[in-house]
Amino acid sequence: MSDIRALIVDDSSVMRKIVERALRQAGLDPLVVHEAGSGTEGLELLRSRQVDLILSDINMPLMDGLEFLRQLRAQHLAPGVPVVMITTESSEEHVKQAILAGAQGYIRKPFTAEQVKERVLPLLHVV
Amino acid sequence: MALSLRASLHLVSDPRNLDASVDEVFQMMLGANCQRSAGPAKIEGEAVTAVVGFCGLLTGACILRAGNAAAIEMAGRMTDMEFDAVDDIVKDAIGEICNILAGAWKGKVPDLSANCGLSVPTVITGRDYYLHVHAPEFRLNHAYSFEETGFTVSIVCDGLQ
Repeated sequence: MSDIRALIVDDSSVMRKIVERALRQAGLDPLVVHEAGSGTEGLELLRSRQVDLILSDINMPLMDGLEFLRQLRAQHLAPGVPVVMITTESSEEHVKQAILAGAQGYIRKPFTAEQVKERVLPLLHVV
Repeated sequence: MALSLRASLHLVSDPRNLDASVDEVFQMMLGANCQRSAGPAKIEGEAVTAVVGFCGLLTGACILRAGNAAAIEMAGRMTDMEFDAVDDIVKDAIGEICNILAGAWKGKVPDLSANCGLSVPTVITGRDYYLHVHAPEFRLNHAYSFEETGFTVSIVCDGLQ
């Protein structure tokens, strides 16, 4: 089976590790994780690497997750790759904004590994 | 008519929302049970304080304060790593716990959740310092026991539209 390649975008290195752990606990194996500490860093990474999944925080300095997503689409980076927002923002309006910006999924912090599994696996067509 | 939270002040300032948020975050992210302490938490010596600001219809802050031992324990539980001291990863973890707490708390009131944003966390370390925040609208100061230590979470509101 080929590697599943995930990009995790979050300004917190701790959260990036927690999300990676949740992906592994969800059964994604083999898994290769790329990390970006900002939306800008995420866009730069995607210019040279292929990924199968992107998970991004929303509240980040300089470029928030929604702008990262808009730039991703505008620059035609990672076409067809599902994007899941992982964030403290839980209102319907925030979810709507994320979907309109092009996200395929939304996970609210705090989260369990089971919740990550439920949201992510269907997007990768993994049973 | 513009949305106002003033009529919902009793909902917004309900202390049970803060307790529920702490319980939810510590259970889900740290796998830990926290009990509300009757008296104020005694945090002496070196401490870590994280602050996340609120902006929008409510302005103020969520403040998490813990002694170094509690902060190290929290970070260890969150990351499955072991720490000997409060390093950058521990500070990051405390900042993130405060961030998630702030989001969970504001999510308890739908109108607040949709009309109040969060700042990125600020983390302060050291000893013998006090955070003075003017909070004319309301202030919640809750102390919790955690493992063999304790921590405090405060919600301070200096403006409510």
